[in-house]
Amino acid sequence: MERQEIIDGLVEILRTVRTVNQEKLNSVTEETDFIADLKTPSTEMINIVAKIEQKFNLEFDDDDIDDLGSKVRDTVNLIIKTQEKG
Amino acid sequence: MQLKGRKVAIVGMGGIFPNCTDLADFNQKLFSNQSLIREWDQALSHGKKVRSTVSGYITEEEAGLEVVWSTIFQNYPDTYIDKLSRIPDGNLATADIGSIWAMLNTLDAIKMANWTTAETESEQTAVVISSGSAGNIILRNAWHTFFELGAKSRQGGGHTVDRTMIFREAANVSCLIKNKGVSESIGSACATGLGNIGHAYRLIKYGLQDRAIAGGVEGTALETFIGFDAMQVLSRGFSPQESSRPFDKNRNGFVCSFGGGIVALEEYEMAKSRGAKILAVIDTYFNNSDGDGDMFYPSFAGQQRLWKGLLQETGHRPDVVKVHGTSTPTGDSIELLSVVDTLGETGYHVSAPKSQFGHMLGAAGAVELISSILMLENQMVLPCLNSTNLNPELENFQTGPNWNGPMKPLEAYRDLIPQQAFAKEINHITCLNYGFGGTNSAMSISNDY
Repeated sequence: MERQEIIDGLVEILRTVRTVNQEKLNSVTEETDFIADLKTPSTEMINIVAKIEQKFNLEFDDDDIDDLGSKVRDTVNLIIKTQEKG
Repeated sequence: MQLKGRKVAIVGMGGIFPNCTDLADFNQKLFSNQSLIREWDQALSHGKKVRSTVSGYITEEEAGLEVVWSTIFQNYPDTYIDKLSRIPDGNLATADIGSIWAMLNTLDAIKMANWTTAETESEQTAVVISSGSAGNIILRNAWHTFFELGAKSRQGGGHTVDRTMIFREAANVSCLIKNKGVSESIGSACATGLGNIGHAYRLIKYGLQDRAIAGGVEGTALETFIGFDAMQVLSRGFSPQESSRPFDKNRNGFVCSFGGGIVALEEYEMAKSRGAKILAVIDTYFNNSDGDGDMFYPSFAGQQRLWKGLLQETGHRPDVVKVHGTSTPTGDSIELLSVVDTLGETGYHVSAPKSQFGHMLGAAGAVELISSILMLENQMVLPCLNSTNLNPELENFQTGPNWNGPMKPLEAYRDLIPQQAFAKEINHITCLNYGFGGTNSAMSISNDY
C-alpha cells in the first residue's frame, strides 16, 4: 500500500471524528501532528487507533501503540510495519 | 450547622420532558390535564419479551440531537451532534444522552437565573447532579464488544468510563460551565433528583457555597425499562394516557419514564440584592431511612418520621402535598395514609404529577420539584389524573395487627385528590420522594417571603 493511500485513509477516518479540527484536514501531510496541528484531544487518540485497525484490517501490538509518536508519519510507519508482519 | 437567617432561593430551572418541546410546552400540557405518556416503539419491538409497552420517553431527534453511529460496531453511539449548536463537540464526546440533557438543562437554568460568567465560574458555585441508572446504552455495546465479540478493550471506545460513571452528569456539567466549587453526585434511587437538590440546598444553607446547579436526569434507555419490567412492577393493560393512575383502585404499576430537571439555587439575600426573580424559596429539606431492613416495601413509620422531621424545621402547613405517587398498589396507599395521618383530612390537596408523565426514576424528584414551582407560579394544583375510583374497602395491611395508622379506606379521602387541575391560593408545597433501600426525602418550598 502506498504511503499517500494510507494518508488518504487516515484523513477519511479523521473526518468522522468531530473533535478534530476539520478545516486542517485538507492539508494533511506526513509532518502533520495529531495533537499540535489537528488539536486532537488525547482521549480521542485511542478511538482513532481502533478505527485505523478496522479500516486497514490489522491489529497493532500494545507496545507499539504505547510508543506511537504524534505525527502522521509515525502512524503511517506503524501501519506499514504491522502490515508487513502479516 | 445551619446558619440562622441564611435562606436559599430557586432562581432558575431547565428541563427536558417527554413529548414536550420545552418548559413552556410542559407547563401548558400539565395544566391542561394532558398525559405525556405514549406507546414506546423500542419496547414494542421486543414483542412478548417485554410486559409493559408505555413510557414517557424522549428521542434524540426530539432533543435536537443526532447520533453519530460507530463505524466499528453496530448500534454504538460514537458521539452526538447538537443540531442547535448549544454544546461544543468536545463536551459532547464525553457525554452519554443523560449527561447531554443535564448540560442543556443547566444552560437553560443559568440563563433564567441570569448569572454572570464570573458568578457561574466562581469557587462559590457548586454542581450537584446525578441519575438513577448507569450510562446503559454505552455500557451495553462496550461490554458486548469485549465479552461477546471478543474484541480488544480499546475497540469498545475510549470514553466508556466518562460516559458511564456515576458522576458523569455532574462531571460533564462542571466541565461545560467551569465552576470552581463543589462538584459531586448523590445517589438515592428514585429519590435521587430531590436528594441532589436537597444536598445542594444544604451546601448553601450551611454557608459552604453561595450558588448551585442541582438536579437529576434519567436518559432514555431500554435497559432501565427492562430491569423494572422484569420485576413485574410496570403498568400494563391500559391505554398510554390511562396507564399512570396513582391512588386509583385498578392501578397495577408505574410507567417507566425518562427526562431531566435542573434548578439554579442561590443564597437568598445575594439573589435579592442583584434583583433576581425568585421562583421559590426552599424552606427546608429533610431525609431519612426506613430502618426496617426491607429493600422495597414502603414504611409507614419511616414516612411518619420523615414528616415529623420536616415539619419540626418549617412549621409550615402545606397547601399542596406533591406526593411520590407512583401508581403502585402498596406505595400509593401507604403514602396517602401517612399524609392524612400527619395533616388530617382537610385543608390541603394532594398532587401526583407522575399521573401525567410517569416515573422518571433518578429525574423524578427534580422534574416534580419543577412541576411544583409551576404550581406556585400558576397558583393551580396539578391533578392525580386517572384516580377515577378509590378503594371503598380497607387495604389489607390496615386490618393487620401492627397497623397504627388511619382506619378509613382510601375512598374517604376523595376530596383531597383532584382529578383535574384547578386554581387555588398556594403558598407552601411539600415535595415527597422515596427510593429502593428505604430512603425517604422531603422538601418544603414556598412563594417568596
